[in-house]
Amino acid sequence: MSIAEKTVYEIADDYVLGLLDADEFLQVEARIGRDRHLSAAVEASREQFLPLDLSVEPVAVPDGLWARIAQTLPAQTITEQAAASAAIPAGSSTATAAVSTEANAPAPAAASDVRAGGNLARPVANDNSTARWKIGAMLASAACLVLAAGLGFTLMRQPEPMVVAVLLNGAGEPQAIVEDFGNDTASIRLLSDFTVPNDKVMQVWTLPTRDMGPMSLGLLQQAQSATLAGSKLPAPHDAQLYEITLEQTGGSPTGRPTGPILVKGFAKVPR
Amino acid sequence: MLADLITLDGQPFAVAKTFLKQPSRGDAGLTASPDQLDTIADDLRRCAGGDKNALRRIFDSEAPQLVAVALRIVRRRELAEDVVQEAFVQIWTKAHQYSPERGSARGWIFAIARNRALNMLRDGKREDLVPEERLEILRDSDQMAQIMASWHRLDRNGRLHDCLAALEEVRRKSILMAYVGGYSHGEIAGKLDIPLGTAKSWIRRGLTTLRECMA
Repeated sequence: MSIAEKTVYEIADDYVLGLLDADEFLQVEARIGRDRHLSAAVEASREQFLPLDLSVEPVAVPDGLWARIAQTLPAQTITEQAAASAAIPAGSSTATAAVSTEANAPAPAAASDVRAGGNLARPVANDNSTARWKIGAMLASAACLVLAAGLGFTLMRQPEPMVVAVLLNGAGEPQAIVEDFGNDTASIRLLSDFTVPNDKVMQVWTLPTRDMGPMSLGLLQQAQSATLAGSKLPAPHDAQLYEITLEQTGGSPTGRPTGPILVKGFAKVPR
Repeated sequence: MLADLITLDGQPFAVAKTFLKQPSRGDAGLTASPDQLDTIADDLRRCAGGDKNALRRIFDSEAPQLVAVALRIVRRRELAEDVVQEAFVQIWTKAHQYSPERGSARGWIFAIARNRALNMLRDGKREDLVPEERLEILRDSDQMAQIMASWHRLDRNGRLHDCLAALEEVRRKSILMAYVGGYSHGEIAGKLDIPLGTAKSWIRRGLTTLRECMA
């Protein structure tokens, strides 16, 4: 049945359900803007099926996802009217969007980045006047990072971690960061204080492959951040599991984790 | 302890579920008050004006469900996150096009994410899965379970639940496979082992019956 033979309701349903082929989809997209009947039917179909999406069990969103989005947002072309509505104080927001009639002005983006750039919202006293400085500083920092990375690579061969994993506790709070360099060393940075009984020690594990099973990266003797070396394991990969357990002094007697899991998380490849 | 996790490959999100308690929206997931909906519409207006904080608020409230919706379609965690990333960039750039006359703000946002997910699917990315090797891949059987669960999770007193219940099982299933799982006519025919023409007419009649029931 071609589009021509269908009623607007059938077209709308097929469009909303994703049952149109690529050509038909584009035809319908183009038609929606100028065909009130069709656009009304699409809205009705969308609302009809929306409960199937709204009732889905939410999943945990990784911390880095917002940062990735914020980095790729283009500047809005701001009209005066839109800028005025944007300047309405919103909720608990601490940053006020700068008003500018200049198209693609960088200032509002930088000002609202205060919250967007990281998970810590910092109150800013006077963000507008410093926005350009911030951009300059960010560019300079970025340039430094690039230079440092380049220098590191060519002169010092300072390795970049192949994967980074943020380890979370049972409450979902980040407690440690693992950077696995893939050259028998991994750096573990603790982000909070762990209380370890005298006869226990923190042991770091990873799961390189299911066949290999969990492998020890080493012990954190003082319950402090450390760089662990010496475990010959396959190169770490994306989504590899890392965790820290509490084991008896000297480490797990079986070579496999036996004690309670303190924190765990899946690795991501930095990009 | 780690051994527990290794056996979790059939339930790839067990870690996330156990460790990261998400705010619940209630069983039906339909408890958003009119205030909240207005908030999204207001935030879209602020997005159009260049306010990234407004987009962040939409992200904070909607992303956990958007990732879950995308995941049912693309079946891979990192792809689902890519879908939501692309969707938010689109929400940002298209925010000026939204108006309340075009339906609910949430419906508009979810439609953008759904279309991104379907695009990614049609690009064939779902096919390059390496099953068994990755913890976060949703398996076929899990996906079917999730597709059917989507109906069971609906508000029992809601119209959509009742109208889907009134459909013949195979028609209900086909419609859910298309909407929830992003399956094409051909994939549905293959899964249900029926001719393509039959699948198409079941779905078409099912949708007509559903529409009449909902009206």
